[in-house]
Amino acid sequence: MISFTSLTILAGGIATLAIYSFLIKENPFYRFFEHLFIGIAAGFIPIYTIKGFLWPQVLEPMLGLDIVTYPDGTLSKEYSTSYLLFLMPMFFGLFYYAIYFKKIAWIAKLAIGFALGYSGALTFKGFFAEMLPQLESSFKPLVVLGETQAVDWGQSASNVIFVLTLLSVMYYFFFTFKRSGTGSEAVATSGRLLMMVCFGAFFGSTVMARMALLVERMQFLLTDWAGTLGQIFL
Amino acid sequence: MLNRRVIYFAVMLAVGIPIYFGYEVPPARMQAAEKLYDIIENYDVKDGEIALVALDFGPNTKAENQPQAEVVLEHLLRKRIPFALVTQYALAEGFLADIPETIVNRLQQEMPDEHWEYGVDWVNLGFQTGSSLFVQSVAKSKDLIGTFVQDVNGTPLGDLDVFDGVKTIKNMPLLLEFTGLVGVFDTYVQFFQSEGYVPIFGHGCTSITIPEAYIYLDSGQLSGLLEGIAGAAWYSKLLSEAYPERSAGMEHINNTALGVAHIVIILFILLGNVLAFTEKRSSDD
Repeated sequence: MISFTSLTILAGGIATLAIYSFLIKENPFYRFFEHLFIGIAAGFIPIYTIKGFLWPQVLEPMLGLDIVTYPDGTLSKEYSTSYLLFLMPMFFGLFYYAIYFKKIAWIAKLAIGFALGYSGALTFKGFFAEMLPQLESSFKPLVVLGETQAVDWGQSASNVIFVLTLLSVMYYFFFTFKRSGTGSEAVATSGRLLMMVCFGAFFGSTVMARMALLVERMQFLLTDWAGTLGQIFL
Repeated sequence: MLNRRVIYFAVMLAVGIPIYFGYEVPPARMQAAEKLYDIIENYDVKDGEIALVALDFGPNTKAENQPQAEVVLEHLLRKRIPFALVTQYALAEGFLADIPETIVNRLQQEMPDEHWEYGVDWVNLGFQTGSSLFVQSVAKSKDLIGTFVQDVNGTPLGDLDVFDGVKTIKNMPLLLEFTGLVGVFDTYVQFFQSEGYVPIFGHGCTSITIPEAYIYLDSGQLSGLLEGIAGAAWYSKLLSEAYPERSAGMEHINNTALGVAHIVIILFILLGNVLAFTEKRSSDD
């Protein structure tokens, strides 16, 4: 008898091989499993939103279903009518669907406008909370002294490179005035070259991430999947 | 002209051979990972404190984020620092349940006299919707039990020992977040703080987001960082040194396989350039 765990491992192995079969060439086997994955991933979000949030935190308390009646007739807690306030944002959220009806489509703009307003405010607040510490940390000393008051050459060089990169890259994107003279062109060019180094680092780390995915899948195929196959067929 | 399938096959062999034969080389020292290790190792947890651990990853970045989460959660369990697991990514729900249970089973085998229990040492708060609104609601909450209401199994948080004395964000001195999603990580950087209070923030990122994560490390917004598989491997080595009885996972072998794959790719890049150069020269002649 094959256990449920073994079946899931077998299915996982077949799905992995199907996805990697794309490396040989595009094929229906690959296409089927690609659609299957997208469908499952898309289905997860509404289910977990209902199960993990909407039902336990909104609907259950609002309908009083989280109140337990004990054998002696007493209740675990009193029903609070304040939960009915949840109906207001729910009703307001329904305004989005007015977009499907021409005559009242303008109502949807209220909900959209509200969403734009709060997300804009959050982004504004979040931007400062995120960027100010980074701006502050970009003011680095060019000469760093160690514990013994001797110059820390390694850290000093690192800070000098940081500041030069920051200034030259910012200068490259400074389009208010026309750049003239070889000096200013040289600064802008060095900014561009330093960005290229950065893009190279990004590309390298992207390759590393893809390889990490392969490592994990190979580990799964060579240990879990091969082991389960061995148990079933040998 | 080299067939691309030859390259794929070579890379597959480069990755597969170390995994199949269990070949491993010691990982390189990762200073940012060591920083996080030192913070947790030296953290003296007080009553009424809990770490918040956000596992915001799914199958797409499991390869890098899962080993990171495993070593850090193992460290928390060993140090008896209680933690609450949460995610803003629906596909992570399975990991929230499986990872701590697997680690606890391993720890119980290593130390049969010790005992770790769900609801006492950790709690699973499950998938939370709302993105930045959710993070802000936690940061602003004066009653975290009322904010989260219940765990993933429907048990009221007030009934679980792990939440005893936990009221506000100030009772969450450690924030640990594992993700490859920059947008999710940002929400914690931006909103998981209150007036005059910023928690110790450890982060596990994927290789793609390493260059960006260094910015946060440099600015002090991050206290420690696990960089991809390499960060997890170094953290695992530190754990093995501190706890010699520990049975290590696959981190070192995976890190070795990754290194071998990199060497093969570098060789192919060199080969490609040499071939392109010689072809150009012969066509010029």
